[in-house]
Amino acid sequence: MNAHKTKSWYLEKMFSALMWLILIVACLLIIVPLVFMLTASAMPARDILRMPYPWIPSGIYWPNFWNALRGPEGDFIFIRNALNSLIVAGTVSFFTVIFSCLAGYGLAKFKFKGRNLVFMLIMATMMIPFEAIMIPLYMVAMRMGLQDTYAGLIIPFLANAFGVFLMRQFLITFPDEILDAARIDGAGELRIFGTIVLPSSGPAVATLAILAFRSQWDSLLWPLLVVQSDQMKTIPLYITKFMAETHSDEGIMMAVAVMASIPMITLFLTLSKYFISKEGLTSATKG
Amino acid sequence: MRKNKGFSMERKKARWGWVFVTPSLILFSAFSFYPIINAFYESFFNRNLLSLRPPSFVGWNNYTYLFRSREFWLSVQNTLIFTAGTFVPLVVFSLILAILLMSISRLRRFFQMAFYSPAVLSSVVAAMIWLLIFDPRGLANQGMNALLGTTGVNYNWLSTAGMLRLSTIVVYFWKYIGYFTVMFVSGIGAIPDTLNEAALIDGANRWKLFWHVTFPLLKPTTILVSIMTMIQCLKTFSTQYMFTSAGAPTRPINVITLNIYNTAIKDYRIGRATAMSILLFIVMFTFTWLQLRVSRTEDVSYM
Repeated sequence: MNAHKTKSWYLEKMFSALMWLILIVACLLIIVPLVFMLTASAMPARDILRMPYPWIPSGIYWPNFWNALRGPEGDFIFIRNALNSLIVAGTVSFFTVIFSCLAGYGLAKFKFKGRNLVFMLIMATMMIPFEAIMIPLYMVAMRMGLQDTYAGLIIPFLANAFGVFLMRQFLITFPDEILDAARIDGAGELRIFGTIVLPSSGPAVATLAILAFRSQWDSLLWPLLVVQSDQMKTIPLYITKFMAETHSDEGIMMAVAVMASIPMITLFLTLSKYFISKEGLTSATKG
Repeated sequence: MRKNKGFSMERKKARWGWVFVTPSLILFSAFSFYPIINAFYESFFNRNLLSLRPPSFVGWNNYTYLFRSREFWLSVQNTLIFTAGTFVPLVVFSLILAILLMSISRLRRFFQMAFYSPAVLSSVVAAMIWLLIFDPRGLANQGMNALLGTTGVNYNWLSTAGMLRLSTIVVYFWKYIGYFTVMFVSGIGAIPDTLNEAALIDGANRWKLFWHVTFPLLKPTTILVSIMTMIQCLKTFSTQYMFTSAGAPTRPINVITLNIYNTAIKDYRIGRATAMSILLFIVMFTFTWLQLRVSRTEDVSYM
């Protein structure tokens, strides 16, 4: 009996050790490219492709970051492009939240003829992948004179079916008594929406806002189609142009990578629970 | 009188319902419904992006051209290779990692964050990092040489067809492994502890517990994750685009979306590109429909 117990105790210990080993190895493998990005951004190019790779940089090699900011033509276009990315992702995120809340609230709390049809139609757009409609959408944008404008980058993404779905699910459990009480007090519907519904949708709004921001920050295909001038480029476009130039310096490349990732990494470290939440996960990211 | 007032209140509310959904409906009509209907229409014309001549009706010509085009079938093949090569390992390994994560009691949050972190980077940045890693002098060759005990062998990550395909798969796998692991973790987290405890009291060992209790309960999540991965893989673009624009050969990784993009923007053949889009749409529509059906039944009850 006792011997049996110790045997299974050993087995259990070995099993547990193996588990930790696999997890740690997997963790290292996943982290290595990130560590590579960070360390390489602090090294001069000649060190980066040295064999074997010197993992620890001797101090930060600032010219990488300076040259990344300056850009190949010395016109600091990266700063402008980064601002474009922030403007586009911020605006899309803001309006996606507003429109999704409005529609989600309308569908959750108002009975009207055709409500189910409207909901079905909006859900159906989830089955239309962006990649399949990008060319016709591009033609639409051209006809509307939206090429090479902020409007062209922003407007097609303001309506988000997943957002509407998320807000509807969230608001469907919102107590009707509160809404009716406000109505009896004489508050208008828009005021109820703005002062009661929107402020109490915090978690869902945060999840949705981050989701929209991320997918725009990451977006490559649509900007490739719509943007023509260097002035209107977003960070992903800056990077593709940078990569296509034959003599890109590896240190500068990684400095660009680090700078392009700072906003998302900051968001991730401060608001990780909205990234690793069930709602945040169920919508597939674009790209 | 009173009834009448209630009735008008209902009508007022109905009107407000429409007010709230209208902005979204307008946007969806302009930027989802119209383009997809327009895509069907355009796929029967030979519109050229630069030509001033009005496009003429060509019937099914765009489609028959595609079905006879070797380049089209190559891009279908490339997409399928990428999808199969990515989705199977992704689902298997993220499931394994999730199960391991759920059986440890400490540092779970830390591992989750670490695994998830590549998904935070944009795909363009991910491709840029890996382009350097796959450089002939880069970490990939160094690692492989160390692992296989060879010295100075170049594994041609970015030049031979097979390795190039593998490289794009590696990038994608790396970027999304944590994302799907976390998804599985939330699926396992939904299984009540009492079930596991009951099984353990009944004398089940870990393996039996996994195979007979955890895994069957995870089936809906597994199916959902599988479909989601497939949908994502079918529309992969950024990695392939970045690799080719950095000088890698196009043919082995010319996936459908890249083909659509190049046909429209480099060859100006809008009709042919939209016909390809429609074919992609039909495939993805089927998968997405499946996903929505599965996710509706995903909230399994454990009673």
